[in-house]
Amino acid sequence: MLEKNGVRIAAVSYDSQEILRGFADKHGIGFPLLSDHDSGVIRRFGIFNTNIAAGLRAHGVPHPVEYLVAPDRKLIRKYFVQNYQHRVTASAVVLHEFGVVDEQAPMITLQSGALRLEIRLSSPSAFAGQEIGLFAKFNLEPGWHVYGMPLPDHYTATSITFDDPKVIRQSFELPAARPMEITALGETLPVYGGSFQGLGSLLLKFPIVAGKTVLSGQLRFQQCSDTMCEAPETIPFELPLTIEVFMDADRKS
Amino acid sequence: MSIEDCKGASSMAYDVPADLAEKAAIMREFGRRRAAGEPVSEELQAKQVNATNDNYTTGPEPGERIPDFALPDASGVLRSLTDLTGPNGLLLVFHRSADW
Repeated sequence: MLEKNGVRIAAVSYDSQEILRGFADKHGIGFPLLSDHDSGVIRRFGIFNTNIAAGLRAHGVPHPVEYLVAPDRKLIRKYFVQNYQHRVTASAVVLHEFGVVDEQAPMITLQSGALRLEIRLSSPSAFAGQEIGLFAKFNLEPGWHVYGMPLPDHYTATSITFDDPKVIRQSFELPAARPMEITALGETLPVYGGSFQGLGSLLLKFPIVAGKTVLSGQLRFQQCSDTMCEAPETIPFELPLTIEVFMDADRKS
Repeated sequence: MSIEDCKGASSMAYDVPADLAEKAAIMREFGRRRAAGEPVSEELQAKQVNATNDNYTTGPEPGERIPDFALPDASGVLRSLTDLTGPNGLLLVFHRSADW
């Protein structure tokens, strides 16, 4: 995913070259694993974990940070996750940085009245505990709109939420809505019309049983034309996702 | 997806000991249970994560240049930052260990 967009991946740990070679061979890792055995580079980045006493096996590890770096060494963005078991997927990075979706991720289409929504995850599969991206493409027939934020109480803003217990944190953002004067009501409200896109991220809980599953979510919106409004609608949907087998399991064997 | 968004994902309901030896005791107990295949309670898991993340630092800020470096890869070949970077950049992942 990243490679296709001209971004390479490299990983740094304090492991010896021998350990890294064993790991790369066993798991068929396709990107460089770098050995910072004296944690010198980890220290230069200022991410040496000082919570771990000398003598403990983990003494020397970094705080788990991922850096997206431009070719001129300038830092574009960094990712840090409190629980080191939770990692951002490469596909989520690509989606948010380049707006590119993995075409293999299953797409579902929702249609109601003048509104059509195509929605998909950034990847067809992920590990439990990872963060995956969410991509939503809306289309409204001419003359119709839905609402953005901020909005008075008696209107329904457009939202996508997941009430799935497998999702422990979520976000979904739409671009800024266009102010539209509703002459009949004498109000100006934020609206979307035509084609527009939203991006989100979903943090998966850990653990989840490996295999095929779905993430359950719902779309909420209210569609209105220049002259009339439909009732607010809630459309439930399920996005297919394969949970990969966690590598810890085969490391123990 | 930002650093701020990532905070609060784990349970923060337990106090974090300021003392390095107390943190070490938590880490040893966590490691021992994991190695023995014993169940790890949610409380111990949270304490382990909190002790590990106490006063965490995340290094260079967006817009700054990251330090230049060269490190050996798994085959022992010295790799420079320039050699690692693709035409549009590099995702540089610092992780704990490939061994445990």
